[in-house]
Formats: sequence, structure tokens, C-alpha cells
Amino acid sequence: MVLLTMIARVADGLPLAASMQEDEQSGRDLQQYQSQAKQLFRKLNEQSPTRCTLEAGAMTFHYIIEQGVCYLVLCEAAFPKKLAFAYLEDLHSEFDEQHGKKVPTVSRPYSFIEFDTFIQKTKKLYIDSRARRNLGSINTELQDVQRIMVANIEEVLQRGEALSGSAEIDTLNQKKYSSESPTFNKQHFLSYLG
Amino acid sequence: HPIRNTVSSPGYSTLDPIECSFCLLFLFVEILERVWEISFLFVMLFCFCLDLLFQQYPGVSQLSSSLGGLSLQSSPQPESLRPVNLTQERNILPTAPVWAPVPNLNLDLKKLNCSPDSFRCTLTNIPQTQALLNKAKLPLGLLLHPFRDLTQLPVITSNTIVRCRSCRTYINPFVSFIDQRRWKCNLCYRVNDVPEEFMYNPLTRSYGEPHKRPEVQNSTVEFIASSDYMLRPPQPAVYLFVLDVSHNAVEAGYLTILCQSLLENLDKLPGDSRTRIGFVTFDSTIHFYNLQEGLSQPQMLIVSDIDDVFLPTPDSLLVNLYESKELIRDLLNALPNMFTNTRETHSALGPALQAAFKLMSPTGGRVSVFQTQLPSLGAGLLQSREDPNQRSSTKVVQHLGPATDFYKKLALDCSGQQTAVDLFLLSSQYSDLASLACMSKYSAGCIYYYPSFHCIHNPSQAEKLQKDLKRYLTRKIGFEAVMRIRCTKGLSMHTFHGNFFVRSTDLLSLANINPDAGFAVQLSIEESLTDTSLVCFQTALLYTSSKGERRIRVHTLCLPVVSSLADVYAGVDVQAAICLLANMAVDRSVSSSLSDARDALVNAVVDSLSAYGSTISNFQHSALIAPNSLKLFPLYVLALLKQKAFRTGTSTRLDDRVYAMCQIKSQPLVHLMKMIHPNLYRIDRLTDEGAIHVNDRVVPQPPLQKLSAEKLTREGAFLMDCGSVFYIWIGKGCENNFIEDVLGCPNFASIPQKMTHLPELDTLSSERTRSFITWLRDSRPLSPVLHVVKDESPAKTEFFQHLIEDRTEAAFSYYEFLLHIQQQICK
Repeated sequence: MVLLTMIARVADGLPLAASMQEDEQSGRDLQQYQSQAKQLFRKLNEQSPTRCTLEAGAMTFHYIIEQGVCYLVLCEAAFPKKLAFAYLEDLHSEFDEQHGKKVPTVSRPYSFIEFDTFIQKTKKLYIDSRARRNLGSINTELQDVQRIMVANIEEVLQRGEALSGSAEIDTLNQKKYSSESPTFNKQHFLSYLG
Repeated sequence: HPIRNTVSSPGYSTLDPIECSFCLLFLFVEILERVWEISFLFVMLFCFCLDLLFQQYPGVSQLSSSLGGLSLQSSPQPESLRPVNLTQERNILPTAPVWAPVPNLNLDLKKLNCSPDSFRCTLTNIPQTQALLNKAKLPLGLLLHPFRDLTQLPVITSNTIVRCRSCRTYINPFVSFIDQRRWKCNLCYRVNDVPEEFMYNPLTRSYGEPHKRPEVQNSTVEFIASSDYMLRPPQPAVYLFVLDVSHNAVEAGYLTILCQSLLENLDKLPGDSRTRIGFVTFDSTIHFYNLQEGLSQPQMLIVSDIDDVFLPTPDSLLVNLYESKELIRDLLNALPNMFTNTRETHSALGPALQAAFKLMSPTGGRVSVFQTQLPSLGAGLLQSREDPNQRSSTKVVQHLGPATDFYKKLALDCSGQQTAVDLFLLSSQYSDLASLACMSKYSAGCIYYYPSFHCIHNPSQAEKLQKDLKRYLTRKIGFEAVMRIRCTKGLSMHTFHGNFFVRSTDLLSLANINPDAGFAVQLSIEESLTDTSLVCFQTALLYTSSKGERRIRVHTLCLPVVSSLADVYAGVDVQAAICLLANMAVDRSVSSSLSDARDALVNAVVDSLSAYGSTISNFQHSALIAPNSLKLFPLYVLALLKQKAFRTGTSTRLDDRVYAMCQIKSQPLVHLMKMIHPNLYRIDRLTDEGAIHVNDRVVPQPPLQKLSAEKLTREGAFLMDCGSVFYIWIGKGCENNFIEDVLGCPNFASIPQKMTHLPELDTLSSERTRSFITWLRDSRPLSPVLHVVKDESPAKTEFFQHLIEDRTEAAFSYYEFLLHIQQQICK
């Protein structure tokens, strides 16, 4: 069962699109997971692994990062990893095609909220039992899911460190990003609407 | 020093030089003396005037101590405090519309202050202490219209929304900046740091002038909110229509009008590509419609177990508007004819609402309920409680409150799931609106009422429904909203009026917010406001726009504090006061009794005028004196006592009365005032004198007339603007010219009994009349219905009921009411 899908910009954690499971039961319990997802987005950066699975009790987060955008899904722990990542890849290719170029320019949260319609449709395809049976026909170019890093979400959030594939801190890149931030901020102000 | 009456004048015969100079010297001294006498005269006169002033306005000396933000140009004798002898004034009603009083602030603050159309206070001079407020015997409260349609609105997109660290007030024009880097909150006085980003002004591209930023230069602003302000991703616009299709409903014929209106406005429903729509019809069973994209036609699914309602299919009942548009159109075209031969007389409204709740829970949105009779089946069924013989009762009026808490409970559940329920009641008989209204009251919905609705026999109601639907379907809407009102330390809020759910002491939960909703809140002064000369109020409305943007609309109002009773009276906003009192009276009618509410209204006038009388030193008991600011107070209270909501002794249907009460609680001030005191104009002699120019059209501005038959000359034609209804009354002796040129009829006798439109005739008077009426119409969102009423026709009772200054069998005339008040004061 896919419960929550969120797409955010890695650079600053700005949410771009999202979809929540439309169900009387599960809708209400998602608060906690939503806030974990938000916190996770803020911690992600260029060093974070591009594919990761994070265990969160009875649920699991899976995410991929492509072109500075993070695609995150929350599913039940039993939901097959392969399907989850195939789903995220599908979202990525459509989102990148439709909105990829505009991502660095937006400043409002959920600027692409209308992408929700596509997310819902894609979700249905993956939940449908026939898709599950056709695991074999899923895109074979997909990385072997066994090699995807697994971690516990609480640890990751509490640690206070950015998720990093390597222990080294890239000082060069840090400088580059801190000097770029005033430009970024100015862009925010210039998008003032009269 | 006696004033000499004779002045010796020197002679002009030939003089020798010495004599001449002496004479000149003498003349010089004389002139000096005269100048001295004249200036002394002026000084005497001036002292005399000051004396008068000090007698009547003892507050002048105290004003100077609180001059902080006050206008230095304010005269010690404000026009608003001029005493008016009500019993002698024959024409108390001004001929031009009454404007909101402008708070007494310095010019800079006045310019920045919030528009009274959005935010108004009953007292524009706030009393310094609760004791002073109690002395004035006037209600203190705010009237809000926070989401009204605005032509100009600064929208701020910023990384940080600057707010006070302790009380969370949004930065506004009335904060004070301490050394450019820190700002002091005007509500709690906490000093906050100015964030670095705020030092930069995007408009002027300058740095270091935070006080010039738009948030600080505008008292009404809208912020784009960050994801911190969201509990969940912004919801899409979701619209569900729940339709009564019993035999009664089919008879009434509303379905055709509704479906037609929906078909016309389908593309104009506020939303984006995610907008969803659904339909549920019901009689003794509930019917759902599968509109899944790909089906060849809509599929109807009937659920007959109304005691345990369930959804027949998990999705496809609320579908994407764009993807299923063809199917939706098919359904709307088919619906009016689907039930023509129905024999179902029952109405299972309760179960239908339960089904609606299930459908809407996952997302939230808006439910629009169309009902034509008493719900007779299943949960929430209602009995007829009205006794027609009691309609004219002068004693107890019963059943003003709900008969069951089913609808309130349902509304609260809906509110919790961000769903508002709007009700359209199109009934020909009693339908217990008092119980049904709860579904909207607590879920932030709105109520529309069409008594005696019938699409053929009552064409004016049918037309009204059509016009109302157009506004309803296309107006702006906000979803999953909350509203918080904050005020300066020392003031507190205690009672809220309007359609919402009160989540905590100052947080109102509004599943939907619409631009026609008004609210009111009562205030009390917990701590004396001695430390400050100004108080501020701020309304913050956090909502999701129909396009999925999270926004915060903020209004900030600033008012001066005064410490004398006279100043409190000088600043009364009589229209705001009467609207707040009306809200309070509705609550009192339901919780206690209608007669208690009526007594309280009369007491409000008696007490306040009596208290005012004590501020005048030469108070005469033989006259009823009011300050100019309150001179219309008795007139408005009398109008309220004769209003459908509160009147007794005149036949009033219970549902009509309850609806008037609902309107009082949810209309913004500008519309409520017309409900209470309609505007009357003479229109058979319109001229261009004083006309205004609007969009190349010349709009005549006839003077306002008082609401009395005395003013209705038989030789004239008059227009009465009651807000949602216009009446044009034609006197029996009205000039034929007017009847021909404007009504298109040869004479009085040939005017049809039910005329609801003015023909477009190519005559000057027709143009002028239509121009005036169009201008009045355009000034409000809901288009009013027009009725042409002939003198002596049976339709005239409705019109004459609004002439509140006249005596009726059941109620005082205005003059008699004044005498009654005077009597009460002298007791």
C-alpha cells in the first residue's frame, strides 16, 4: 500500500508536489510521517545517497534523488522494494519532462501540486495486483535494489548529520553553495507579486 | 472699564503747528484706546466661548494627556458630540449615506489604517478601562469581513514572514522600529529583531529601511505561506452536490435551474486541474453516480439501506472535473428529467448527509445541499413544530433552536475533515430551518432560503435562485482555513458570531471561507490601558486557495484610547453598534427568549442615552438628547424591533424568522444595515444634479428619504433598497409620463400585478432610472430581485412593513418610541 508520495527540491527542502492516500483510516495517522518526511528533506544535500530505504516502524520510506529533486514514497513495510523504486522512477521521468526546467526557479511551496493527478494514476497502476505479478517485466535498467542502502529514519533524523555516502566533507562545494545563496535569496524577493 | 459711547473728535478749522501736533498726539492716543477696547472685546468674547466649550466638553483637558497618536488638528468640539434634540428633530435621517466614522488618529496613521469595509469597531475611541466602558453602556466589539473581494491586495512572497516572537502577531504598519534593527510589537510590546532579509526592500531595491517594506506600509496584506503553515499538502477544490429528488422537489422544479446553472458555469468553478466534483441524489434511498472517465454514460448506484450508509464504490464517485467532463455534462442534462414520474414523497436527508461525509472525509471541500421539505426518514428526521396560529403571537415565540443535535454533530464532524456544508432551502412549507441551519452554522457553510419556491408559479424566486447560483458557483473560495484575531495586551475577546467552529479561545476553524461571510466578536477590557494611547487589532486568515496555494490574509486596525466618557461617545460607530447588538439579540432569543432579546435592545438605547445625559451639565428631562454620533441609534433599534427576526404581533412564519436570524449572524455589516434599515429614494423626479460618473455612465444620486408613509406621496414613485430585494412603489396619482417612459405602460391601471423587470426604453427617465438601479445592483455581490408594487395592490403589505417609522397595530411609531425611551430614562 502506497500511503504518501512527496517530491521536493534537495537544495532547500522546498516541497514541489505531493499526494496522500485517500482513505478514511490511513489519512489521519500520516501526520507523524509527513513531519518526518519534511525533516528528511531538510537534511538531504548533494552528498546524500541517490537511492535509499529508511525504516520507520511498520512503514518504510524509499527515495531517489535525480537532478536535484528528491522523490519520496511511504509504504507499508511489506510492499516490494522493486515496485517502490520502479514507481519512483516513473514519477521522476514524467516530472522531469514536465517540470524539470522550472524547478530551480520556483519559491512557493507545492508549485507543482497539480502533478498530484499523475501521481494518483501511477499509484493505482502499481497497487493493482496485475502489476505485482509482473515484477519480472519491470524496467531491468533499474539498479539492483539489494545494493540500496538501508537505514533507520529516527537515527538519521536524530543524528543531525546530513546523510552522506562518504565521510569526507567537501569544503570546496560548501563554499560554492554559501556564495550562491544571496543570489538565491534575491530571486525570492524579486518574485514579489504586486 | 466702561466703554465710552461718545468719542470727542478734534475740529478741522485752521490750526497753528503746535496746536496741530497736540491734536495729532491726542488722536493717536484715542486710536490706541479704541484698539485696546476692541481687542478687549474680542478677548471677552473668546473667554465666553471657551466657557461654553468647557461646560459641554469636560474632556478637553484630558485629551491632551493622551495626544500620543491623536490628530493635533482635532477641534475640541467634535461634530460627533454635538447634542441633538431627538424629540424636536423631524428629519433625523441624513439624505446622504452614513459613512463609517474615521478614527481620531494623526494623518499618517489614518492613511495606513485598515479599511472599515474589512474591519470595524463599535467604538472608534476605545475606553481606557472596563469601568469607563460600563459607564457608557455601549457594546464593544469588532465587525469583520475578512475575505471580501478586493480590487487591490499586496501579496508578499518572502522566505520569512516576520512575526512577534511571543504573541506571533504579524508585522504591521503600527509597530515601532527601534534603531532599524529591532521592532516593538504593538500588541504585546515585546522587542524583536529585524531579520537580515527584511532589511532589504524588494520594491525600492534599497537596504536599511525596513519600515518602508510593503508589510509595514499596508494594513491589509496577503502572505504566501511556507510549508510550515500546512498540516498536509494543499487540498484540491472538491465540490459535492446533494440533491433532494422527492416528488415535492420535482414539483418545485429547482433541478432544471440548478443543472442549467452548473452547465453554464462548469468551467468557472474555482480550482485547477485537480478539481473534483460529485453528485448524490436522494429521496427514500440514496443514489450515487459513477462518473469514471472511460464509461460511455454515468452509472447510477442505489443504496437503500439508509440506517447503515456505505459507499457503493471506493472511487469514481468524486471525479476529476476535466477528465470526466463529458460524463458530467451528460448527467446534468439527464438529471432534471430522471425523476419526473417519481412517487417518492419521503426525504432521507440525514443518511444522505452521512454519505456525503464519507465521500468528503479523505480530502475536505464543499458540500452543497438542496432541500425542499422536512426530512422525513432516517437519522435526523424532523417533525413539524410550527403552529400557524402562533405566527402573530406577542408572547412567547417557540422553536427558535434546533430540535435535534444531529445536524450540529454532523457539522462538527465535517468541520474536522475540512468540509463545509452549504444549505439551499427551497420549501413551500415549514421545514424547521432552526434545526437544519446547524449543518451550516458549525461547519462554516452558508444558507440560502427561497420560501414558497416554485419555478413556474413564483418566477421571482426562480430568478433569484438563478442569480444566486451564478455568484455561489463562481465566487472565490478558500479551503481548510483557520482565523485568529489578536488584540493589544489588556483587551480580550469573549463571544464570536458567525458560521464557524470555535477551536480555542481565539482560533476559529473554517472549513471554507467565502467573500460574502461576515463575523463579529465581543471585547472586554481586562486590564486598564493606561500605558498606551493606541490599541490595535489584527485578523489573520490562513487558507488554501482554490489553486492549491497556502496564503495568509492579514488585516490590522488601529484605534486611539480615551479616558473620558464624552470622548467615548464622540467615537461611537452607530452602525457597527447596531449590527453587534443584532447578533447579541439573536443569541439571546435562542438561549433565553425573544421578549428578553427585545427588552435588551430597548434597554441598550435607554441606558446609553441616559448615561450620555449625565455628561451634559444642563440636562433637560423634557427632551431626549443624544450626541450626533448616536442620533440614529433609537431609529435603528426601532427598525431592528420591527425586523422579521425580532418582530412580534405581525404574522411571521417561523422559518422566515429563523432565516432572518441566520442572516444577521452571518452577513457583513454593509448588507446587514440594508436588511435592518432599507434605503428609500424617490425616483420619479430623478435629475442629474449631484450625479456621479461611473464608466461613462451618469448615475443620479437622489437623496435618502425616511422610512415613513408620510414621505410616500401618491403622486410619486419610490425605490426601496432592502439589500436582497428592491421594491418600486408606484403611487396611484403618479404622473403618466413616468409610467410610460420608465415602465412602458400607458397608465397606472395597466401596470401588471407582478412586474419584475424594467423595460429598456429610449427615454431619458428610463435611462436615468435604470442607471441608478444598475449602480445599486453592482455595489453588492448577490443580485437583488425587483418587485414593482402598485399602490393599493395586495403586494403592498410587504413593502409597507419596511416603513419602520410608522405606527402599526403591533408597534410604536418612531416618535412614540422616542417618548417611550424618554419615559424610561426619567424613571
